Amino acid sequence: MDALEGLAKLARRAREESTPVFGVSEAVRLRILSERPQATTLIPLGLFGGLSALAASITMALAVQFWNYMTSPVMELVAPLPEIRLW
Amino acid sequence: MTIAGCQCWPAERGIGLPGAKRSRPDPVAFPGPILYNCSVEHADWSDVAASLRGDDDAYGRLVQRYERPITGLLWRFTRDPVQCEELVQQVFVEAYFSLKTYRGEAPLLHWLRKIATRTGYRFWREKAKEPQERSLPEFDALEEIAAAEEDRLDPAEAAAVLHALLSRLSPDDRLVLTLMYFEECGTKEIAERMGWSRAKVKTQALRARRKMKEIAEREHLLERLGWTL
Repeated sequence: MDALEGLAKLARRAREESTPVFGVSEAVRLRILSERPQATTLIPLGLFGGLSALAASITMALAVQFWNYMTSPVMELVAPLPEIRLW
Repeated sequence: MTIAGCQCWPAERGIGLPGAKRSRPDPVAFPGPILYNCSVEHADWSDVAASLRGDDDAYGRLVQRYERPITGLLWRFTRDPVQCEELVQQVFVEAYFSLKTYRGEAPLLHWLRKIATRTGYRFWREKAKEPQERSLPEFDALEEIAAAEEDRLDPAEAAAVLHALLSRLSPDDRLVLTLMYFEECGTKEIAERMGWSRAKVKTQALRARRKMKEIAEREHLLERLGWTL
């Protein structure tokens, strides 16, 4: 008998082996639940965006007002000196 | 298990007509007993459609229906029950997330076997990266097998010995011979399962058998089994 014939004979016998059964349906269900992408809702994202926009608007308004009242320190150098009455 | 009166996709929808374009019906849009291919069993198809609609129980039924053959196949890839169970779970989880790609051209079991074979192959490739001692304890135990005749050899022991011998091959060689020896697959089926060309499978099989013969002769397999005549 050839070695390959021996292997074929061994395989014939091996195919009769009974294989274990694990009962994986529950474990599979749990893994699918954990790996399934969660449906993302837009409410928290929208809320965050709205609050950010509000904060940015307030900051902008304050910045514009500040800009209007701000005087440049350079202006003092070129501005005519007020006459000082010496007597 | 095929339902009596299994209905093919009606001819007026253009399927089955010569030259007609075959298109896959959307299982969500067309749930129920509508089948465009008789090879797909009704129960499977309705469970697949229900699973795609989000019915977890339907997928659970599919898992229970096909767990045994898939475990049987993956048992050829590892004889460690823990690893085998993990692989079985991986196959069904992967199948669930790929269910949309199941076209129903072949029975669901064929599709699952393809996923299982590729999962097992990936497992071997990852294992092959790890340095390991290829000992053959099962093989040594053959010395103690008094029963040398084929019909008296325990199938589990025969499978363990064959598994240990095959583990000495590279993952590609091992896959081809495992499917040939354990699953009685032809080159065409192996090629389909793995997405390889048939020529590659034939070449691989030839090379793997040559290597396997060398290993069997080196280990004096026939002498140990008492099959030398």
